[in-house]
Amino acid sequence: MTTVRKRIKSAPGWLVVLFVFVVFLVVGIQRDSGPSTPQERIDAVSQRLACPTCDGESVFESRGSASVSIKKEVARLVSAGQLTDDEIVKTIESSFGEDVLLVPRSTGLDAVAWALPVAVAVVAVVGLVIVFRRWRREGSVHASVDDERIVFEAMREAQRDS
Amino acid sequence: MLGASLNAAVGRGAILLGLLVCLFGIGITIAGIRQGNLKALRSSAYYAYAAFGAALLAFVIMERAIITRDFSLAYVQQVGSRDTPALYNFAALWSALEGSLLMWVLILTGFTAAVARKFRSRRDDVLLGWAMVVMFVVSLFFFLLTFGPANPFAVGPTGVTDGPGPNPLLQNHILVMFHPPILYLGYVGFTVPFAFAVAALITGRLGEGWLLETRRWTLYSWGFLTLGIILGGWWSYEVLGWSGVWAWDPVENASFLPWLTGTAYLHSVLVQERRGMLRVWNLSLVIATFSLTILGTFLTRSGVINSVHAFSEGQVGPWLLVFFSIIVIAAVLLIGWRGDRLRSPGSIDSPISREGAFLANNVLFSLFAFVVLLGTVFPLVVEALQDRRLVVGQPFFDRMTKPIGLTMLFLMAIAPVLPWRKASGEILRDRLFWPACLGVAALAYAVIIGNDGWAPLLAFALGGFAAGSALRQVALATRRQGWRGFVGRANGGMIVHLGVIVISVALASSGAYTRSQEFVMEVGDTVEFSGHTFTFEGLVLESDPVKSSLKAQVRIDGGPVYEPARSKYIKQGMDIGTPSVKTGFRHDLYLTLEGNVRPDDTEARIKVFVKPLILWLWIGGGLLGLGTVLSAFPGKRRRPEAPVSEGLEARV
Repeated sequence: MTTVRKRIKSAPGWLVVLFVFVVFLVVGIQRDSGPSTPQERIDAVSQRLACPTCDGESVFESRGSASVSIKKEVARLVSAGQLTDDEIVKTIESSFGEDVLLVPRSTGLDAVAWALPVAVAVVAVVGLVIVFRRWRREGSVHASVDDERIVFEAMREAQRDS
Repeated sequence: MLGASLNAAVGRGAILLGLLVCLFGIGITIAGIRQGNLKALRSSAYYAYAAFGAALLAFVIMERAIITRDFSLAYVQQVGSRDTPALYNFAALWSALEGSLLMWVLILTGFTAAVARKFRSRRDDVLLGWAMVVMFVVSLFFFLLTFGPANPFAVGPTGVTDGPGPNPLLQNHILVMFHPPILYLGYVGFTVPFAFAVAALITGRLGEGWLLETRRWTLYSWGFLTLGIILGGWWSYEVLGWSGVWAWDPVENASFLPWLTGTAYLHSVLVQERRGMLRVWNLSLVIATFSLTILGTFLTRSGVINSVHAFSEGQVGPWLLVFFSIIVIAAVLLIGWRGDRLRSPGSIDSPISREGAFLANNVLFSLFAFVVLLGTVFPLVVEALQDRRLVVGQPFFDRMTKPIGLTMLFLMAIAPVLPWRKASGEILRDRLFWPACLGVAALAYAVIIGNDGWAPLLAFALGGFAAGSALRQVALATRRQGWRGFVGRANGGMIVHLGVIVISVALASSGAYTRSQEFVMEVGDTVEFSGHTFTFEGLVLESDPVKSSLKAQVRIDGGPVYEPARSKYIKQGMDIGTPSVKTGFRHDLYLTLEGNVRPDDTEARIKVFVKPLILWLWIGGGLLGLGTVLSAFPGKRRRPEAPVSEGLEARV
């Protein structure tokens, strides 16, 4: 029984698991269908737009009159069926101004918001690699003969007490 | 009028009393420590009880003022109303700045008194003395806030006989009673580990003692914060009408930031307990967690950041900013001062080990916290430097945090099976095989039933992988220890992991596969959407002194009638929508009434959302709570007090 289990968990077993994983993931990604109703497209686009008159809400969340007008404009553009979601966002941006976007731009000062987390992640990973290398070089702390004697005596004492 | 003036006088007197008690508590405890005067040192507990008594009195007086509609107080004029139902009237206390700070003071002094009571047998201990001093200092600061810039007992203009009541969004769901107090219990509770961390730095007792003293305090605070955040999501879902649970709003982020650093700490503390390592890191995480609660309060209470649930601009901003700066500077100086004693004695042998995984986990949590903090404060930076408006919202946070979240799930699958010190490839292959199979099975099932998209599918696969890993640990523990296999930090932690996995899968599913459609329906019309029928049976107008609600009656699948509504709050003149939700294990049907409707209309615009797996968010929240409670019980093998990395001489 143990041998069978070991065989299942061996390299071929893992390869089968990996293969099935890749196949299903590729199938799932390939058929990425996106929104299935016009309303879902309107919702998806309005989640990318900031309500111009609210406190940090998206057009999707807000029920303010400015958001309602933007939603109507998005709905009109979606039903016209000529523009992609990105093009609709750009059209709204050109009408209402760049502060209608819910994301920083990718240029100028705004780019810092995108780049900084990546830079921090890279620094963290590099830092971890350096630390682990140093630890490996230094080796871990080993118990000296005296340390082992102390532990042995303490254990013997504990056994005697119990 | 006599009663009215009594409320202001007694309330303000109670706050002044609390303030003075904290001041004396600080002075006498420090004097006791310095002079070795045990009597003075022991008396700190009585100051803690007195401060709590003063805060409780102020809280009760404010409740009394609100319940008895004492409109001589400016705060009651702001949040009180003769027509607000009793339940929401009670909760009105924490519905605006001054009252919420009063609740903060009550909880904070409650924690201080609880610490004094819990450690009553160790009142001579200098470490406890300094911890009490720190808690008194924090309490003093919040008493000062409520005495000065956010005084809830300020007398308002005369002649006012009624008020508008709380914000309408704070008086249409029962969760207003539970979400804010529970969130505050978590938020404020992190003061306890912070106080012990600072005390450890001051006394130089930087071993594992302070960690062990505060382990359960930290765990309970984390549990309350987690529960508070989940209840907040539930409230948002049930009340706001946009069908979501999380919007990356600055106030939400303010509660999430300390949760992230607190969660990192709960993991990394295990490395210090076991191996005596990461001392500076753990101190930094505890201090960061507490500092973030103050920073978050500053961001959301000062008016510098706009948010739907930020309180109106108050005078507390500069106070909070100064306090936050003092905490950070003092913490850095203390850590620098104690640098020589904070050096870790050991090293991590291999990245493929339990401690290596905890380190990676901490890097991920810290990165996550950094992204959330950056996105929250970045609009301020842009406004300060370029004088233009920028809103950073969901698309930014989703894009930046998705990879981190998925990596965390992967780590959650690997870490529980890793041994301390070093793991061999054989161990990994053996222990991770069945969890990996579960992950692939979850992915296959998701694809077979028609799901798509790389991010949700990876979330399902990694969720299944991590769940397999957690279940394996629970199965092994229960086989070895029986029912005790569910309790203890490691085993309870696996239940917490399962809760997180359930929530992650539910979020991934509801985020990616929500279906929605808007219908303009005449009375009697039936539409079909996503396998369900919806029949519009007409509009019903219901009025009470607070609001008039126009409810659309929609019968779902020929069964019960659901009533999404639009309500006009008379005094505030605010028109808000209230969704109606049919909850199910597979999906929720979430209905909203859209547009401007009149009672005599014969048609209505009904929006239908089909939200998959939403119920599992709350079930996952329940698992998190259960796991937290189970984690608090001691495991079988080790006494909770027993340090594992201190020298033998420290134990005898």
